Amino acid sequence: MSTEPTGRVSPIEALSPASRAYGTIDVRSEHPRWGMAVDLERCVGCWSCAVICKSENAVPLGMWWNRILTDGAALDTPSSDDRGGHDLHWVPLACQHCDDAPCQKVCPTSATWTNAEGVVLVNQDDCIGCRYCMAACPYGVRVFNWGDSEYPVPEGTGMVAPRPVGSVEKCTLCVHRLAENQVPSCVWSCPAQARIFGDLEAPESRLVQMLESRNPTILLEEKGTHPKVSYLQPRRRRPLLAVAAATEIETEIDSGEGS
Amino acid sequence: MSTIDAVVSGAGGVGLAAREGRRSGRGWNVWVGLLVTGLVIGFGSFVYQWSAGLTVTGLSNTITWGLYIVAFMFLVGISAGGLIVVAGAELAGTHRFEHVNRLAVVCSVAAVATAAGTILPDLGRPQMAWKMLVQPHLTSPLVWDMAVLSLYLVIGVVDLWILTRRPVPAKSLRVMAIVSLPVAILVHSVTAWIFGLLVARPFWNTPLLAPLFISSALVSGTALVIATAAIVERLTNFVVGGAVYRGLRRLLLWFVAADAFLLFTEVMTTFVSGEPDHREQLDVLLTGRLAPVFWAEVTIGLLLPAMILVFTNTRRWIVTASVLLLAGVFAKRINILFAAEFDPLVGLAPGIPGGRPGQPFRPDEIYLPSWVELGVLTGMVAFFCTIVTIGVRYAVLPHQDEDPVLD
Repeated sequence: MSTEPTGRVSPIEALSPASRAYGTIDVRSEHPRWGMAVDLERCVGCWSCAVICKSENAVPLGMWWNRILTDGAALDTPSSDDRGGHDLHWVPLACQHCDDAPCQKVCPTSATWTNAEGVVLVNQDDCIGCRYCMAACPYGVRVFNWGDSEYPVPEGTGMVAPRPVGSVEKCTLCVHRLAENQVPSCVWSCPAQARIFGDLEAPESRLVQMLESRNPTILLEEKGTHPKVSYLQPRRRRPLLAVAAATEIETEIDSGEGS
Repeated sequence: MSTIDAVVSGAGGVGLAAREGRRSGRGWNVWVGLLVTGLVIGFGSFVYQWSAGLTVTGLSNTITWGLYIVAFMFLVGISAGGLIVVAGAELAGTHRFEHVNRLAVVCSVAAVATAAGTILPDLGRPQMAWKMLVQPHLTSPLVWDMAVLSLYLVIGVVDLWILTRRPVPAKSLRVMAIVSLPVAILVHSVTAWIFGLLVARPFWNTPLLAPLFISSALVSGTALVIATAAIVERLTNFVVGGAVYRGLRRLLLWFVAADAFLLFTEVMTTFVSGEPDHREQLDVLLTGRLAPVFWAEVTIGLLLPAMILVFTNTRRWIVTASVLLLAGVFAKRINILFAAEFDPLVGLAPGIPGGRPGQPFRPDEIYLPSWVELGVLTGMVAFFCTIVTIGVRYAVLPHQDEDPVLD
């Protein structure tokens, strides 16, 4: 199973106790239901979470469990409105850990299952590689082991065992870290602290408080999948600032040329 | 010259030689040679793919299903022929197609068996397929499809056994007709629901998908019976008779009309007032990357053969129209599968990772089947033809003198 620890020392375990405390789950109720919020106001699209996910979970070359989508005109191009304002956001995307997971429903062998803490997992021992779950996932976050895995270093990376050729895999919410009361790797590694992880059943958790105080949205809400990952919308609207700044610069240039 | 030849001629060709006509001799040897070559190519490609992983296919994390699933949908569809000619005719009380009923059932059995076989090479881990039997997950349409396809295969084999009895036990035939009709409707519906029940694929997620699969199955199943009958008639001394072609032509016209109507109402509704997601995936067909295939399907694969069937009544033209309709339904399977896959719901840049080392992210993934996939498909075609050949030799030809040939 993919969640089996390899016995390697995680980078975070090598840290001092004080630093390590940074990655500890804040509150845990009696029956936790894990969830995450991604603060789009803070995300700068640096791909740190995507990269550490690969090394934490031994995700082979060419495959990503977690990636950063660009909400703009193109990968590195902001969208523009008719007033000359520009807008560019990033949408970090991994498994949404749906309460009503379409991938789990269609799996012919129950290889995809949800554990008692609400984490959607794949048991590779049961996966026959039919890729029906990949067709069923509206978010396109599952990846398939097409051939022999390749790693940037010969001995491979990661705190969990690699998955066999011909099976499907995806984000496990670092379930091996949850067992040690540590947040997923993408959460502690985010330089902008854009990811908030916690127990949806604990009202005093930072996650629940953020979800209540900010404006959370979920992806493809109309599909009825009930994800446990939410996105906090930016409170400031950058396009207006951009318009103001652009006008100011223009005025300066105009007046500079006049004198 | 080959195992099949040896098996075929060794296992009781008693009394056949006299009736074989053009089937004995050089042509037969060439045909068996072709079949064996096809089977070897298919099996070799499958074994190679199994050892290397699906990385040798053209598939990716965006286009996760390709040629094998197109072939699967098509094969399940063409299995409808046997039912129309046997159960349909039986329940409608006509004896018009009696002379081709064994041939039609042979085609159905071959199609269902090959369809089931097509799933194996699509699996990443064929060695784990048994898990579906020991721990089936009952909410998965794939499990139900497996069950209903197996049942359909058994029905086909039993039907064939009944039809080769002399005299044909009329009561058993009637019971089988009543049993097989709902099962056949389920076969095509459940196959459609594999796709149609997914919220992630708006183009598939339409209540019309199951009716569309049924109408396409009726068209392609009938067309297959006509085309196969014409081929067998040409290569052996089997006589079909003009009445069968003319009768099947009338049926085919109804089926084509129903299929065209369902396709039109689906496309028109989505075009005028469909949900944006659904409409975007339809646009892949109407104006997007699949437009050539879609418009070929509609013109050459549907309208042209429909016109031919309306205005002509000769064997040659009926067979021509059937071949075009088969090609049209195959194109339709391509269009249905890829319209939804080419345009994933979350389509923001940079897209979905390809999945292999060095393979880029692709928001607009393309798919071309690899040589390995074409090799496996060759094997599937050979497998289908082998079953039909064995069926024709042992179930169709031996009893043909006992049937009335209507002309």
